[in-house]
Amino acid sequence: MTHPGAALRIADLHTRYGERDVLRGLDVEVASGEIYGLLGPNGAGKTTLIRTICGRIKPFGGSIEIAGMANTERKALRQIGLVPQEIALYSHLTIHENLDVFGRLSGLSRKDTRDAIDWVSHAAHLDGRMDNRVEILSGGWKRRVNIAAAILHKPALLILDEPTVGVDVDARNGLHELIMELSRTGIGILLTTHDMEQAETLCATVGFLRNGVVAPQGHPRQLVEDMYHDYREIIVELRHTATPGQSSLLGGAGFEHSNGGMSWSKFEQPGKVATNRLAAELERSGMDVREIRLREPGLDSLFVHLTREADQWAMENAA
Amino acid sequence: MGDGERRVIFAVMRIMALHLIRDRGALAMAFVLPPIIFVIFAAIFSSTSGEELRLKVALGVGQQTELSGRLENALRAEPSLRFLSTTFLDQPAVMAQVENGQADVGLFVRGDLNSTDTAPAIVLVDPGKLMAGAILSGQVQRIVGLELPDLGLSRTAPAIEGLVGGFNPQQSARLAAAIKELASKTVDQEKQTGLVETTLIGAHGGSGATVTYYAGAVAILFLLFSAMQSAATLIEERNSGIVDRIAIGRSGTDVVVFGKFLFVAAQGIIQVALIFLVAALAYGLTVWDHLPLWSLTTVAAAITASGLGFAVAAICTSKQQAQTISTFVVLVCSAIGGSMVPRFMMPPWLQAVGWFTPNAWAIEAYHGVLWRGEGLEAIVSPLFRLTALGLIGLVVAIVVSRIRLRI
Repeated sequence: MTHPGAALRIADLHTRYGERDVLRGLDVEVASGEIYGLLGPNGAGKTTLIRTICGRIKPFGGSIEIAGMANTERKALRQIGLVPQEIALYSHLTIHENLDVFGRLSGLSRKDTRDAIDWVSHAAHLDGRMDNRVEILSGGWKRRVNIAAAILHKPALLILDEPTVGVDVDARNGLHELIMELSRTGIGILLTTHDMEQAETLCATVGFLRNGVVAPQGHPRQLVEDMYHDYREIIVELRHTATPGQSSLLGGAGFEHSNGGMSWSKFEQPGKVATNRLAAELERSGMDVREIRLREPGLDSLFVHLTREADQWAMENAA
Repeated sequence: MGDGERRVIFAVMRIMALHLIRDRGALAMAFVLPPIIFVIFAAIFSSTSGEELRLKVALGVGQQTELSGRLENALRAEPSLRFLSTTFLDQPAVMAQVENGQADVGLFVRGDLNSTDTAPAIVLVDPGKLMAGAILSGQVQRIVGLELPDLGLSRTAPAIEGLVGGFNPQQSARLAAAIKELASKTVDQEKQTGLVETTLIGAHGGSGATVTYYAGAVAILFLLFSAMQSAATLIEERNSGIVDRIAIGRSGTDVVVFGKFLFVAAQGIIQVALIFLVAALAYGLTVWDHLPLWSLTTVAAAITASGLGFAVAAICTSKQQAQTISTFVVLVCSAIGGSMVPRFMMPPWLQAVGWFTPNAWAIEAYHGVLWRGEGLEAIVSPLFRLTALGLIGLVVAIVVSRIRLRI
């Protein structure tokens, strides 16, 4: 299933909704067999990017290539397997019937569809359930079939739009294995997610879509290290919302809040962190501390930081 | 009931009220559709008993006399009747006008109006419109009584004179005896001296015409309903992402819409075939003799329903919205298009409005083919309208679906 060149190559992409620029010179490259995590807050333009890749929105600048072909060609679009966020299946049909329908709709002949169903049922571990109606499947199995229906035609690029929303941990882990197995067959995967742990687990490269461009992008661990070096994140969890006075004290000490003022965090170099002293100071100022944690910053820390920056940029530009 | 329960009840009522107020479709269904349907039915049924019912009449006069001229003038001056401008010279010509649907009912005034051997006026009725015959018959008798009393007397006097032979005392006795004798021959006398007689047109009985009418009327009604229902799957597939998935496939969404359109049209053909099969088996409707034109009409009607269904589905953003709009459209079209009440019973303005509905076209085509035995040239107009409307609906569905993909 390996395709020559990058599965997806986007260069200097510009799109616009009416007078509003949504993508402003976006560059992304997904190699064959790579899982690329596209991260970004709601409204950043992830859906617009997916629609533009799929040829539904015409860009006014830049280029998109899928398996080496411009996405203005229909044969390039046929190299895409799209897994929408919703369960895009016929719920009253069985798994086999769904796969048969989507195989035929993707243009496969009857024989090729049969062969593809055989392959997909093994690849997605659907054997034994093929005659089950989709409507009776659990959320995890529905998501699995949702992916299976998108790879019947063996696409070069698989777009997964939040593929594990609403499933339990077991099912999510199973889907992670499936996604990694698919990437090993050579499919380039563009994954959008709000689950930072998922992005860290699955993706060789992640990119943050904000303000119409993807920046920064790179290996998840590398991005975190580039941002935080050897800094540690101190997280203070209160049992109550901080009073204005307490907020000002925490803010003065370099903490930023989230979770309605009950959770505060800041980054410090390891040598400067003294959690015992911090706990004592906080309690002296009347705060009921539930927990103080020290941890290595993760992708979620970076996400929060970049999202704040993006919000600030948007406010300044709006002003 | 405690305070807690009362609060819950009021909270639930508030939710329902907010739902209703913010769902414009439901609001229209609740408060706009009922008055519209009422207005339509009120217009129809008030006209059947009031002055608004204006039957379209084909008039024929076999022999032009001073009396027949006065009768024609009196009839044409009657506001409750609309006469075709031509006065036909023979009975078959009048019958043809009724058979081809140009007139609701026919009236042929034959020969000598003073003749007591046969009724001088014949009401020619399509068995599907028996009520029209009864109404015209009554109107003619009323007009003669009011406008031509001499005709009534002149028709009655010879009969009485013939019966009593004069009016001297002896004759009075004979008159009493004759009246007694007439009393036992009421029916025969009525037949001999009636001013108007009624003749049914066509080979079938009255119920056959009615069955033909309602088979077509019900067929187009349910075609529209089921097509709207089936077409709503397009909205489900759009909202579930299935259309997104298909859109990047080999052929895009156009063929998806077209494939669905074909299926719903085929489903409609089977649906109509079942309705007419029941009509044929239970009521002896002869579809087989007119199979080619019946098939053409059915295909055209199914195309219309399917096209309209997908146009509505493409335009609506939710299944609920589509159901509301389709219920609205189908009920109104069916009410004014003749699926519920024959259009000839409607006031002229409503008949004119009804002619813009696919129901009227389909009913007209089925009635023309199966009852009047018309050929292709006679039904080409409704067939063309049905097919064109369906194809326009299909094009709208394809174009709107394409646009939706880019939003």
